[in-house]
Amino acid sequence: MILIVNSTFDDQISKEVSAAALERELDIEVIEAAPLKISHCIGCNHCWLKTPGECSVKDDYEIILKKVIHADQMWVISDTALGFIDHKGKNIFDRILPICTMYLKFKGDQMRHVMRYDKKTDIGLIITGEADRDYLKRWSERAALNFGSRSLGVFNRNEIKEAVSCM
Amino acid sequence: MHVMIINGSPRVKQYSNTDKILEKFTAGMSENGTTFEQYEISDRKQWDKIREAFDKNENILIALPLYVECIPGLLMEFLESLTPKKDDSKIAFILQSGFAEGIQLRCGESYLKMLAGRLGCRYAGTLVKGDNFGIRLLEGAQREKITDPYTEMGREFAVKGDFSSDECRKFTGPEVFPPFVRAVLGLVFMTVAKRSFKKAAASWGCTRPLDYRPYN
Repeated sequence: MILIVNSTFDDQISKEVSAAALERELDIEVIEAAPLKISHCIGCNHCWLKTPGECSVKDDYEIILKKVIHADQMWVISDTALGFIDHKGKNIFDRILPICTMYLKFKGDQMRHVMRYDKKTDIGLIITGEADRDYLKRWSERAALNFGSRSLGVFNRNEIKEAVSCM
Repeated sequence: MHVMIINGSPRVKQYSNTDKILEKFTAGMSENGTTFEQYEISDRKQWDKIREAFDKNENILIALPLYVECIPGLLMEFLESLTPKKDDSKIAFILQSGFAEGIQLRCGESYLKMLAGRLGCRYAGTLVKGDNFGIRLLEGAQREKITDPYTEMGREFAVKGDFSSDECRKFTGPEVFPPFVRAVLGLVFMTVAKRSFKKAAASWGCTRPLDYRPYN
């Protein structure tokens, strides 16, 4: 299953993604996250040390968390700000911490947290507005390490066909 | 020099590792007359005041924890609300993380360099250091062993006004650990570290295994 999380208020983008994915007969699920109540990560570490795997912030992010652990891919559609994804998009990534455990290991030459679930979810980005795309590509590759996976790329809002071809 | 400091951690001040780092850093920075004012991003009630102070001050320092390879969402939300400056202000950063190796923070550091320009400020460097997760779990001398070295960096910053010195660069420590150290740490992760995490969890009232899967 491919999970699409649209953190923008422009549902036209996710509709276009859905239509293009349908043409390729892909199994996708779309979450329109902008109208949902999704807080930032408050850094309490409860998901690692107090209620393992569960976020202490009780809001709509749990909908995403329950889906992402079964998803082969998660694509986040995000607005941009200050050359990067905006805070709504970043919150989708920051709140992912419960899929990791507190435990540590080395992956290659770098420390990583041991993943909580077996599924490894690749990540992709579709952005609206101006951003430093080279930086975002680099960042998404690093961010994928937190999912124990890889980045599928960063695409602009007008490159939806290209993005879907990578799904 | 007067420095406006923003603690960019979303964690409340009481539990903020970044705050404990700033406590030591500012002690060193203030020794020879440098003054500062400090604000917390975790307290939304301060946001109007922080915006005013950002507009007014020319020496700005943002200290932040690395969240998923870059800046925390809450800090991003605040920064989005700023009007980029048009004066000669400069901005420096303290970037800290749990993971110990310097390489873990470089992607975040690159963004901060870009961010300074986007905020209309000159970039005055980033003090990069990992291995700070223990600050919250430890107390007394054990905690200070982690935070004390920041005092010297505060002195350095007061003299130079930036983080460009060799001392600041070396402060990061190793970019990656050599293979032998990784092998030893790998064993520590599977034994001593696991036990200490379980102990910390028990003291927080945790009743489940740390690898528990609530949604399977």
